[in-house]
Amino acid sequence: MFILSTLKDTVALLPNTFGLPGEQALIAALNKKYANRVLHDVGLCICVFDLAEAGEGKVRYGDGCLWHKVVFRMVVFRPFPSEVILAKVKSSSEDGIRLTLGFFDDLHIPLPYLPIPSAFDVRERAHFWIPEGGDTPAAELLDTPTENRMYIDQGEIMRVRVETDEFYDDEPGPPKAAEGVQVKRELRRSPYSIICSISEQGLGPTSWWKQAQEEDGMEEG
Amino acid sequence: MEIVNQRSALLSNFEVLTLLREHEREQLAQAKSNFLVKKEQGSSDDANVNQPLEDVPENLRTIEFEASAIQYLSAEYQPIIQQTERSVKKLVRDLSKYDLTKAEKLQIVNLAPTEAVELYVIVEELEDRLEAQMEEILSAVQTSIGSNPSTTEFAAGNDERPSGSGPDPLFLPHEDYVDEEHEVFAEEEMDDPGGFEGDLEMDDDGE
Repeated sequence: MFILSTLKDTVALLPNTFGLPGEQALIAALNKKYANRVLHDVGLCICVFDLAEAGEGKVRYGDGCLWHKVVFRMVVFRPFPSEVILAKVKSSSEDGIRLTLGFFDDLHIPLPYLPIPSAFDVRERAHFWIPEGGDTPAAELLDTPTENRMYIDQGEIMRVRVETDEFYDDEPGPPKAAEGVQVKRELRRSPYSIICSISEQGLGPTSWWKQAQEEDGMEEG
Repeated sequence: MEIVNQRSALLSNFEVLTLLREHEREQLAQAKSNFLVKKEQGSSDDANVNQPLEDVPENLRTIEFEASAIQYLSAEYQPIIQQTERSVKKLVRDLSKYDLTKAEKLQIVNLAPTEAVELYVIVEELEDRLEAQMEEILSAVQTSIGSNPSTTEFAAGNDERPSGSGPDPLFLPHEDYVDEEHEVFAEEEMDDPGGFEGDLEMDDDGE
């Protein structure tokens, strides 16, 4: 789920870093700029892996910093489509399930990607799955006895398959003023979100499949 | 800022964890030495040279230590805590015998499936391609995460894997880098006998 990306950038080193070994100072400056930030169409940057090339420092007019042109590799978090990863359930709602990886929160499973058949139990605030349900419509599912239901609880570890990821570039435009009143900005979308699915055999909470060797879990289509 | 190559290599979780742990260790060492320097000098007038690195920038700290990329990767449910560099290399070498794509091999290393159903999820059309060898794959994975350092299978060869296409093999860029960390890391993993020093170039069962 991690990749290396090669980036090229120009970095300013402040004068108080001139005493440090150049590589160290450059890596620190790059990490400060990129760590834990989302780069559009690249992914979530974790940290610098190494420097490939670093040019000589040049002084520009206006400040005393040394500017270096650097080519470096960065560890980036970006699962590829159809990759299987382990994630923890953060919360469930009627629209689906939200997962977290600790350092990254925007993983969603929308309703269509839940195993069929499943439904949302409002009292438990959790989704559940009926393994032998077949094509029962959701309304009937809620009448099933609770023993048959396989619940997806908060905090459970699940295997999920990544379906797609979306980047949203949130550039602040000029403030729009309609009739003298400033229009409220629409809801902030996260810059990077991942849609996942657990609709296949073998996906979902790991505990479901742990003892599945003896069961009928082998009917992979 | 320019993106030269968006995906120059794929990294396994294990490699990322090793990298992050080393960073953490460096940070701690740095903080400790800065603290000692400060104590000696009594005041922070002369410590200016160390200032920029003293405060780990917040975003880096968040991603790496607190918000726990390290925590996620070293969580109990992950198989990574049982992997060592050698076991991962061995697993990759074993997997190269089979007809698996790079992505599938990477996922097998990351997820360490021990049951057939897990393997079905990772590898598409498992029955058509690999029916008979499924068991072998599973046992190779089991060996790599189990504490089993026996190395009868692979011949003494170098670590250059014969892959010419696209993103580089997983371990090449990493090799020099993990050098110093081996001994420390080996202590944290309970399975491997002794240090790795001799093993980087020659990968035979020299013990």
